[in-house]
Amino acid sequence: MTIDVAHQGGAVPAPSLRRRPNLLRRIVRHWNDYAYIAPAIVVMLLVIGYPIYYTVELSFFKTPPNLAMSQKVFVGFDNYRAILTSQSFRDVTYNTLIWTVVSTFFAYVLGLGAALALNREFLGRGVLRAVLLVPYVISAVAASYVWKWLYHSDFGVIGALSVQFGFTDEPINFLDNIYTALPSLIVVNIWKEFSFAMIMLLAGLQTVPDQLLRAAQVDGANTWQRFWHVTMPHLKGVSMVTILLLVVTNLNSFIIPWIMTGGGPAGATDIWITQIYQMAFGRIRFGMASAYSVILFIVMMALGYFYVKALTRGDEAKSE
Amino acid sequence: MAEVVLNEVVKTYGDIYAVNHVSLTVADGEFVALVGPSGCGKTTTLSLIAGLNEISGGEIHIGGRLVNDLDPKDRDIAMVFQNYALYPNKTVFKNLAFPLQMRKLAKAEIERKVLSAAKVLDITHLLERKPRELSGGQQQRVALGRALVRDPRVFLMDEPLSNLDAKLRVQMRTELKRFHQDLEATVVYVTHDQLEAVTMADKMAVMHGGFLQQYDSPKNVFDNPVNMFVASFVGSPAMSLVPLEAVSHGSDVALRSPEGWELPLSPQNARKALGATSNQVVLGARHSTVKLHSAQTPGAVPGVVYTVEPTGDITFVQVFLGTSVVIVSLDPSVTVHPDQKVWIEFDQDKIHLFDGATELALAAV
Amino acid sequence: MSTPIRNTAAMTATTTSPAPTRRRSKKPIGGWRWAGRGILAFLLLFTALPMVWMVITSLKTQLAALQYPPQWWPNEVTFENYVQLLSPNNAVGHEFLQYFWNSFYVSILSTILGVVIAVPAAYAFSRFRFPGRQALFFSVLLRNMFPAVVFLMPLFLMMKWLGLVNTHGSLILTYLTFGLPLSIWLLKGFYDNIPIQLEQAARIDGATRFQAFFHIVMPLSSPGIIATAIYAFIMAWNEYVYALTFLNSKDKLTLPVGLQRFFSEYATNWPGLMAASFIMSVPVVVLFLVLQKYFVRALTEGAVKS
Ligand SMILES: Nc1ncnc2c1ncn2[C@@H]1O[C@H](COP(=O)(O)OP(=O)(O)OP(=O)(O)O)[C@@H](O)[C@H]1O
Ligand SMILES: [Mg+2]
Repeated sequence: MTIDVAHQGGAVPAPSLRRRPNLLRRIVRHWNDYAYIAPAIVVMLLVIGYPIYYTVELSFFKTPPNLAMSQKVFVGFDNYRAILTSQSFRDVTYNTLIWTVVSTFFAYVLGLGAALALNREFLGRGVLRAVLLVPYVISAVAASYVWKWLYHSDFGVIGALSVQFGFTDEPINFLDNIYTALPSLIVVNIWKEFSFAMIMLLAGLQTVPDQLLRAAQVDGANTWQRFWHVTMPHLKGVSMVTILLLVVTNLNSFIIPWIMTGGGPAGATDIWITQIYQMAFGRIRFGMASAYSVILFIVMMALGYFYVKALTRGDEAKSE
Repeated sequence: MAEVVLNEVVKTYGDIYAVNHVSLTVADGEFVALVGPSGCGKTTTLSLIAGLNEISGGEIHIGGRLVNDLDPKDRDIAMVFQNYALYPNKTVFKNLAFPLQMRKLAKAEIERKVLSAAKVLDITHLLERKPRELSGGQQQRVALGRALVRDPRVFLMDEPLSNLDAKLRVQMRTELKRFHQDLEATVVYVTHDQLEAVTMADKMAVMHGGFLQQYDSPKNVFDNPVNMFVASFVGSPAMSLVPLEAVSHGSDVALRSPEGWELPLSPQNARKALGATSNQVVLGARHSTVKLHSAQTPGAVPGVVYTVEPTGDITFVQVFLGTSVVIVSLDPSVTVHPDQKVWIEFDQDKIHLFDGATELALAAV
Repeated sequence: MSTPIRNTAAMTATTTSPAPTRRRSKKPIGGWRWAGRGILAFLLLFTALPMVWMVITSLKTQLAALQYPPQWWPNEVTFENYVQLLSPNNAVGHEFLQYFWNSFYVSILSTILGVVIAVPAAYAFSRFRFPGRQALFFSVLLRNMFPAVVFLMPLFLMMKWLGLVNTHGSLILTYLTFGLPLSIWLLKGFYDNIPIQLEQAARIDGATRFQAFFHIVMPLSSPGIIATAIYAFIMAWNEYVYALTFLNSKDKLTLPVGLQRFFSEYATNWPGLMAASFIMSVPVVVLFLVLQKYFVRALTEGAVKS
């Protein structure tokens, strides 16, 4: 056996064997890896990429009611102008803001309360948690009909109870009154989604180090101070993501207002999405509705930016 | 069993050369230890032999066959990973059976082989357990068993003992050595514990910064390190290195220290020193070849004791020669104390001389 | 049940699972604890009473339901509404069971397809480094952000063009993208936690890349697969907007749209509607209760990092 001795010391510069492959070469070299994600990419392109492109395109056209797209007429920014200057846009935006902000606020606060109360071992904790999550799991359509029945103007149990307890003289017409309709729907929405906030925050609470709480206790912090100075800072990240997701979900809600009031009475519960749907599939004005969608879309993109940021905080440090 | 040949093997990650033109031949049935400091490319080299990483350049032959583009499964090798990599959701039995199943052996055959491997490794009573229910030593045996069951041509082991406690490590070391002798297997064994390498291996490959520094029997690596890195890496405690300046007085050559003392060289060593590319010469000496004197002695150079470390049967003394440290081993009965002024005598037949500029060992011309 | 938010990947032994439960403050701190109980009691009533009323109503006759003041408990409990909905022999039952089957079929297929597509994608995102990997990953995630309605019109036109309008194919294709971003995200987390050495060991043991994945990696990620599957199934089961738009013939409708149809046809049959709502909720609630920890994981993964 020969003795191979390489007389290179550490100081010998590395001979340049090959250059850093350029992008194309790297892609070609990794084509095998792309095969794994190809199905996902194809589906996403088909169902997301193309629609986004097409929506933007349509938003500059006036579309015929028979949806023969070869007959669409280019109108530039007319659709946008028409929407942004209309009175109804302002009303609907106002409703959308109320709907989103109030729903999100209460869902978060109730969720936080529930999470804190549940973050302790007691008999029936698991069952209680499961029960609270049921509204989140069931179909929004079913939930809407159930609440529609609860709110029923003549035979609704809520109206009956309010008379029974003497709050009102006769059953309230919750859904047909322009002042009570939106708040009534917001209650349903909160009912449906507060447990989502709860479950997220409950998971977030698991990350609060017990030692820190105990240390704070030793330092003489009372319950509130411990919550505010120890627990809350640890929930910051989860809260961000939760609130963002709630906001997005609420901006996107459709089923509850659509089933329960159809946007009525007199547009009192009309929000962006119901408006878009109505415009597209009620009045068959796809161009206009597309422009509306793009506006919504831009709002979403801004939120999406924060969402990804909140989701990947600390991830950069980890990856590569 | 088979021979493994690496020819100018290169692996790059972007601009980093993890393995840099490494050539070596592992003869059939040889036990080769791959040693070097952390990050020097040991694991990468092993993965290249195994086919787990795509090779960037060069050739790898196993049993005379070029395997560069062969899948790991077709190379007929077995590997023991540093963290064992036992399949956590499979029982020990199924862990051992997996390589055989993948080779589509009959059920009875699988059972027979697994049981016999388990018997050899003394893990028969663990067969129904999951890996997480095993101790470190037991997991190690299972990992070894998984490599053994299918008589591979080459065994690759990546620091298989590094997770064990000191006592178990010594015990497993002996067992591994015996396995190698029984099976006459070709083994490439990665470790950064050079004691493991010295005790088990037929040959030692010392790596540093992706380069293969020296590939030879442990004894030769120990006695004739090719450069200062190998000299300082192999042996415990490490070889002492003292940078000096070569000066000639007529036909005599001496090494002069910045402090002014001079060490005359024997004619043999003088010839070596003259072969250096400059007058920068580094003197290397192992602790056992250095003598300590408490009074001035001809041929000895002055130093000051820094620390005294009794280890039981030997006492190590660190002596400052100017700014360099020389380690000397003494019989425990000799007493020295820190800050004591001492004289050091080098054995001219056993010192090593290195070129201060290239760091390579200086050979007699 | 008592410690539900656990790291279900604990079996890979590489994830760090936080202490599942904690018992704080031995001495009772009256005020706060009572406030907590108060909140829970309120939320329990808020959550449960509407559902209780749904069940009570479904046990009434139509006449009994339309009374003022309401009968708090039906004078005469009847299962007539359920019998009618579930017997294939009468027209209503026949229709309802058809919707049920349609929902089931669409949800199952889109769930399975979603998993089949998500698994390799998540694996690739976790294991490989290829150009554009990060960008692709985030574009997949962004799907979460966009309202269904934004996609509705172009998809409707596309389905029309593909000839898929009024077929279940259009729904399956759309639904499988709902779960996809979340599934990919969730599964990527699992694969990140599975040491690559396991696969390498398998490949040395004679497995192909695919076999290593199939025999070793996939079983270890099954909690993640279950979690994503439940999530996708529930999403598909409850989806309404696309079903409303893409389907029009009666025998194709899924439950949410069917329910609406049912309501417009029998406008005053509230007990029947409540019974239908109840039946419709049973599969998802049962699925949720049985596989609760996986579902919770699907929801919270990614947002919560320790
Ligand atoms: N996937 C990779 N991407 C980029 N660089 C890598 C990768 N794997 C290894 N390296 C680099 O290659 C070099 C050699 O790594 P290798 O794992 O072979 O070292 P090692 O000798 O096994 O060290 P240790 O004793 O710590 O296990 C290191 O500098 C390392 O940072
Ligand atoms: Mg290594």
